[in-house]
Amino acid sequence: MMERAMALTEEHLRGPAAGAMGLIDLLKPSKGRAVAQVPAKLETAEPTDAGKPLIELRNVSKTFGTVKALQDLEVSIRPGELVTVVGPSGCGKSTLFNILAGLEEPDPGNVLRHKGISSVASDLLGKVSFMPQRDLLLPWRNVIDNAILALEIEGMPRGEARKQAMAMLPEFGLAGFEAQYPNQLSGGMRQRVALMRTFLFKRDLMLLDEPFGALDALTRTMMQRWLLDVWQNHKRTVLFITHDVDEAIFLGDRVLVMTARPGRVKLEQAVDLPRPRKADIVTSPEFIALKKTLLEAIEEESMKSFQVAGY
Amino acid sequence: MTAFMQTDSARQISRGIAGALLVAAVWEICARGLNLPAYILPSVTSILAGMVGDLASLLEAARFTATESFAGYAIGCLIGMAAAILVTMIPSARSIVLPLATAINSVPVVAYSPLVLLWFGIGMASKIVMVAVAVSFTIFLSTIAGLDRVDRKSVDLIRSFGAGRLAVLWRLRLPTALPLIIAGMRVSTVRSVIVAIVTEMLGAYGGLGWVIYQAVLQIDFVKVWAAIIVASAISLAFFGAISFVERRYVFWSKA
Ligand SMILES: Nc1ncnc2c1ncn2[C@@H]1O[C@H](COP(=O)(O)OP(=O)(O)O)[C@@H](O)[C@H]1O
Ligand SMILES: [Mg+2]
Repeated sequence: MMERAMALTEEHLRGPAAGAMGLIDLLKPSKGRAVAQVPAKLETAEPTDAGKPLIELRNVSKTFGTVKALQDLEVSIRPGELVTVVGPSGCGKSTLFNILAGLEEPDPGNVLRHKGISSVASDLLGKVSFMPQRDLLLPWRNVIDNAILALEIEGMPRGEARKQAMAMLPEFGLAGFEAQYPNQLSGGMRQRVALMRTFLFKRDLMLLDEPFGALDALTRTMMQRWLLDVWQNHKRTVLFITHDVDEAIFLGDRVLVMTARPGRVKLEQAVDLPRPRKADIVTSPEFIALKKTLLEAIEEESMKSFQVAGY
Repeated sequence: MTAFMQTDSARQISRGIAGALLVAAVWEICARGLNLPAYILPSVTSILAGMVGDLASLLEAARFTATESFAGYAIGCLIGMAAAILVTMIPSARSIVLPLATAINSVPVVAYSPLVLLWFGIGMASKIVMVAVAVSFTIFLSTIAGLDRVDRKSVDLIRSFGAGRLAVLWRLRLPTALPLIIAGMRVSTVRSVIVAIVTEMLGAYGGLGWVIYQAVLQIDFVKVWAAIIVASAISLAFFGAISFVERRYVFWSKA
């Protein structure tokens, strides 16, 4: 276990570390929130600091009754990274997110460090911006009021929160739609409102659970490119679940492949493709080579979960 | 959207008026054609004439009954909602209170009228109490059902934003429950007028139920019908007002 963690750090230093440093400069923690390492001050510091994880999980297992969803999971995410997670359905990806969002406590005996501080999962409530698999927009709130839900809960006055959200509308392709209600929006727009709600909740770590899973292929590729732009402007650390390998490679600095249930990390694959990434990168030999490696790993796990299911 | 709603309700209202006119016409023809005695069915025109003649006393009675109904209704709604919220916030209370409430609610509340008259006298207070009791159980049960409709994932989402129990209640559970609460409130309007009138019949100093009871004793069936029509008008208006509020503020659950 330790060896793998070490190897990972080295790999990261060789690889996209320079890029990651750039991100860290811009990683602006939200106002009034103390950050343990104050990464914004480290512009000229040695690259080793960049490798310090924002969040670190070790020996994380989660059992629901007789179902073992996660077993001895190890994940470590450095500030500014965009890490994508793929794996067969039911392997515990959403469960991992629920733990990171503070909603579920893992089984005892785990190690969970947030900014280097040992924590229980519930300490993370209110500290991670979490976007669940469904958009969960509130039907009685219009676009702008859905977007500011988290800010309101933080106690920001509505007027101010709305002003912030209004300023963000064009970037999310929602200009002019502020007064619409969710049932008047297309699937892609609803998803963008949910994403905007997540972005407005300014936390260091952002969890996106299959945000584009329900969209058609064309909308999805557009949203991917758009997300990269937005991510580059806002500089957050992102964990992104997807079942689409192309999406995982296109977006990620790293791809984590999870095993069939009980979920563990089967493979951590660095993606050394340069940024900004253009749409045609998916046809480059490097991309295809990565895809091949990942698909093999995923295939193996999917087969396992099929066999478990009795096929 | 609003324009659509307006034309929609305008159409409903005009249909209702057309239906009422039709019933009145058939009624008039039957009563006159078959020469029915007043104690079976007085003609519509004679009832209208009676209403005009007794206008002042009918209006006074209507004011009485309406006051009792509205006051009891408002108190009942508040108590019902507050109790439901309390019970949802204290899960251990729920398993005791909920079956009890369901049991009490299934007995017609008017069965308690004689006792309530004994305890609160035959003035307005006893009617208000009866209406409040009737309404509060309905609202209590519909509020509980509404609060339970909340989606666990949505609760998780706003908890992840740092929401405590109160914030979850205020920003999620209550709005989720609102369509059912208002539906309960709409049904309760009619119920509150009925309960007020029935209780008045059992003992009162005034009100439409009292007028009906007195008129029956005096064998004045035109007056009985006049009071019934006024009571129906109050019920309808009350029902219509709450339906209007419902359409206006619970727009999302209809679409
Ligand atoms: N709250 C829960 N109670 C019981 N079982 C659960 C719960 N959440 C998830 N599971 C189970 O854990 C496993 C992993 O689920 P999940 O994390 O949603 O998978 P994924 O997101 O990878 O598709 C599934 O078998 C699921 O049925
Ligand atoms: Mg999932």
